[in-house]
Amino acid sequence: MSKGMLFKEVMSGTWQPVSPGTAAGRACPSGGPIRFDVVAETPELLRLFGTVSGALSGTLSAAGLADHVPATGTIEVSPIEHRRIRYTVDFPGDDGASYRFDGWKSIDWTHVLSTWTTLPGTITGPDDRIVATATLRFAWRDAPSLLASVRVRGTRPPKDPVELAGRRWNGRAGRLEVWYDTFTDVDTGTGFWLHHELVAPSHPESPAFARGWAAVFPPDGRPVWERFGPAPVGDGPWFSSGDEVRAEPGVRTGRAGSMQWDLRYEDRSAPLFTFPSAAWHRELLPAAQIVPCPTAEYRGSVVADGRTYELSGARGASARIYGHGNAEQWAWLHADLGDGDVLEVVAATPRRRGLNRLQPLPVVRLRYAGRDWPAAPLAAVRFRARLDLPTWTVAGRWGNRRLHVTVTQPEERCVRVGYTDPDGAAATCTNSERADAHIILERRSSGGWVLEREWSLDGTAHAEVGTRP
Amino acid sequence: MTAPDRRPPAGTRPALEGLCAALLDLPPHEARVLANEVAAMSRRLPSHARLALSAGYATTDALSLLHTGSRLHRLGAAQREALVDRLCAGTGTADLVDALKVPVLMTHGALYAGPEMIARLTEPPARPDAPLDVTPSLSWPSRSLADVVVIGSGAGGAMAARVLARAGLAVVVIEEGRRFTVEEFRNRAALDRFGDLYRDAGATVALGRPPVIMPIGRGVGGTTLVNSGTCYRTPDDVLLRWRDEHGVDAADPVRFAPLLDDVEATLQVAPVPDEVMGENGRVALRGAAALGWSSHPLARNAPGCGGMCQCAVGCPRNAKFGVHLNALPDACAVGAVILSEARVERVLHGAGQATGVRVRRPDGSVLEILAPRVVVAAGATETPTLLRRSGLGRHPHLGRNLAVHPAVSTAGWFDERIDSTRGVLQSVGIDELHRSDGILIEATATPPGMGSMVLPGAGRRLAEQLGRIDHLATLGAMIADAPSGRVVGARRAIVRYDLAKADADRLVRAITAMGRVLFAAGATAVVTGIRGHETVHSEAELVDAATHARHERLHVAAFHPTGTARMGADDQCHPVDAAGRLRGVRGVWVADASVLPTCPEVNPQMTIMAMAQAIAQGIAG
Repeated sequence: MSKGMLFKEVMSGTWQPVSPGTAAGRACPSGGPIRFDVVAETPELLRLFGTVSGALSGTLSAAGLADHVPATGTIEVSPIEHRRIRYTVDFPGDDGASYRFDGWKSIDWTHVLSTWTTLPGTITGPDDRIVATATLRFAWRDAPSLLASVRVRGTRPPKDPVELAGRRWNGRAGRLEVWYDTFTDVDTGTGFWLHHELVAPSHPESPAFARGWAAVFPPDGRPVWERFGPAPVGDGPWFSSGDEVRAEPGVRTGRAGSMQWDLRYEDRSAPLFTFPSAAWHRELLPAAQIVPCPTAEYRGSVVADGRTYELSGARGASARIYGHGNAEQWAWLHADLGDGDVLEVVAATPRRRGLNRLQPLPVVRLRYAGRDWPAAPLAAVRFRARLDLPTWTVAGRWGNRRLHVTVTQPEERCVRVGYTDPDGAAATCTNSERADAHIILERRSSGGWVLEREWSLDGTAHAEVGTRP
Repeated sequence: MTAPDRRPPAGTRPALEGLCAALLDLPPHEARVLANEVAAMSRRLPSHARLALSAGYATTDALSLLHTGSRLHRLGAAQREALVDRLCAGTGTADLVDALKVPVLMTHGALYAGPEMIARLTEPPARPDAPLDVTPSLSWPSRSLADVVVIGSGAGGAMAARVLARAGLAVVVIEEGRRFTVEEFRNRAALDRFGDLYRDAGATVALGRPPVIMPIGRGVGGTTLVNSGTCYRTPDDVLLRWRDEHGVDAADPVRFAPLLDDVEATLQVAPVPDEVMGENGRVALRGAAALGWSSHPLARNAPGCGGMCQCAVGCPRNAKFGVHLNALPDACAVGAVILSEARVERVLHGAGQATGVRVRRPDGSVLEILAPRVVVAAGATETPTLLRRSGLGRHPHLGRNLAVHPAVSTAGWFDERIDSTRGVLQSVGIDELHRSDGILIEATATPPGMGSMVLPGAGRRLAEQLGRIDHLATLGAMIADAPSGRVVGARRAIVRYDLAKADADRLVRAITAMGRVLFAAGATAVVTGIRGHETVHSEAELVDAATHARHERLHVAAFHPTGTARMGADDQCHPVDAAGRLRGVRGVWVADASVLPTCPEVNPQMTIMAMAQAIAQGIAG
């Protein structure tokens, strides 16, 4: 699968007008400092022996010419084939005209340190005439932040929930793949949980099977749930269990005992990668979870316990898990914060020997104000989790923000479901689609912490805690 | 421009002074002045040439010590003369003396004749300098873009640039040398100009037996700045050979003729007018007529020529119409720009496609220009070298097949005053033997010391000859040679040329032919350049001298190197295809003398320009 890269680069230097006093139509006899703050994103991994082109976006400041203006452009990385790393950046000048910086690092492998960090270039005006020259340098002191900013990401899947809904399992033994949906009928406060899982037992001669369960969490009574399967794994790129249960993009239909459901859902927002996409696509971790449709709306009907629930815009999420099995212990939260904002938390202790002694490692993704935070998913490993029932917490900080999450799963709103891993190990999941959550987002300001947002979800949070006997 | 350092190299000053005194029989104070000038001139030479000269001075000094017990500069006049005679008589030592005479005679000529040549300039220039968009590399941005980069601003590069610029492409012409103005040509001493205008200050030598002096111009305009201005249309038989034997369709005489017509119009080619012909040319015409040989005033690109005889050091009247006065300004008028004082370090390429050039400035810094098309027109010696250091020199024939159109000179002593420096430098062509023997005789009167003519002897004898130099008429002859040289090296060009025996025989025949012309014109004696028979007084002696000529001791110069990246249809033998594209990479064309498949057999200026035009038209589509 094609992989892309993303990194942030800061370069600064000086620029000089080619005809003093004429650049940008103003008196600027000696140019001045210039600085790029750009994010480079390439559709494929950088290659030493090849040429990779990508997009640049960020800001540019050139004293007297452009003051902290948005900049977009392209980057071409070709360290051996062309011995060149070329930057083309378009930006608006303070005078309203369009300018372009075009320059390249010319890689000389006998002077690799200097040539890899020096970027000479020219600035052309709207009429394509050169108005200035500039030389920028990458400071080695910025190298750690550049390296820390490097992200490897899949290029195709993140944008496409349909592909993300496709079956990952490729016949290998000892795998567990899950499609699960949780949603809340906001009119009645009823919570729903559909869990579809494909289990490929660790024993290679044991056939894989499909199974799952459905649960309804009415506000006026105890939750009910029933299992379906196991059944042979159906054909096709999605999940199916026999003829009864289908989980396809936008469609959930099936039957479990006395329960039935026939649902459609849609979501116009982008997938939420709780774990880095590389972890999802390349199986870098024992298991990974992502949310292809984090703010989905469900329509249709669910029949449970003799009642029919007609849904027309139930809010929830469709998520995926793929890996070797369930964690040693875990907690999960999906909180729809409204206005397209959403918080996804997974805190887990792996089952692998040695790692199973660790405290649960939280992975947090907050979609807030149009961005996914933290920018680097794994930055949330600095969070701490305290798992317990009925209340568990996750707290931590990244950058200049701090997040504190408290989840409460009252026992009467929970179901306890027995899980079986591919290797036959058992676990117990205490799940509630009517949990409470209290979320506090703070921002550092003037040496202290200032409340930025606070959310309280009363009975609309989706959460679970998994434990081993 | 800093003043040249007049100090001689450390340790060579007494030796050089002694040598100057001995060679030209000069009193000590004059010898000191001359030695200082020679030393100043030597400083412009490349290090290996300086080293060779210093070794030569030291060897002469050591020979003096060996033969007389005293160093050269301590000898009295009589002892010095005796020593010089002895050195001129010895085989190896005579070669040494001849070699050392070149810089000393050149400097002496410039020192004594130069001021008079400048003083003679009373008329204003025939035309002002052309408007050129020239930017020295130090003022050029480190990064820039172009549609086409043309490397070299000589005959080929200028013509290619003009065609491409007129096709609407953004053209950058890169020139290693700088721009010269007519003001400089009028006011600076000939020797200083000589040092600036030529690669390696004119000390380019093709190694071999004999070594071949091969001056190559360097400046905006390339060798057209310093050539004689002689314009020959490419002979049809040469074009047919290129078409039929090498598969160069563009060389079809019918297709090539309009290109030559255009070049003739660009250069304003016209025969040498009688009023500026000069006595040297008239001698040639007279001699040829007496023999019944075909001769004619040469066609030249020098409208308004005043007969200053300074073509070789830059025309002080801007009359010689080099490409810096026509094709380059034409190109600049439609947007081409010239980057001067910029040595192209390598042609950039990746994934089999040219992407631009990397250029070194005089201060050592580099600049790069990205362009999808690169036209290499750096000349037959530099083009293969550049391609090699760019990693594009894998074709086994690149750098081979060097033809140089070797030339020898013969001079005649006349009773009447000739004063060959008054009149056109190259004025008359005698083509009687051209078709039959490939020998083209041209009356060529270079400024003192700057031609390939080496007056015989040394000491008082040489001084006496210099005293009546205005009675000397000089002819030159070039022969259509086999491609028997090659250019090796990647960082700098090393030229190897092994004169073929047949070509050497023809050079001797050319000497004989020139001697006959001179005798027929009334010469009392002829200077042959043949060792042991330097001066002959009759045709019989001339014929006898020719039978004794030793090929390896001929004084050979060459002005027309060609063929080192020859074009043609066979990808095994021709590094450049018939359209001028360098094989093995996309986006690189060659458009200079190096693409000519064989020696063009005439002065190649027009041929190069027409072929570059054809190649550039192919690029422009």
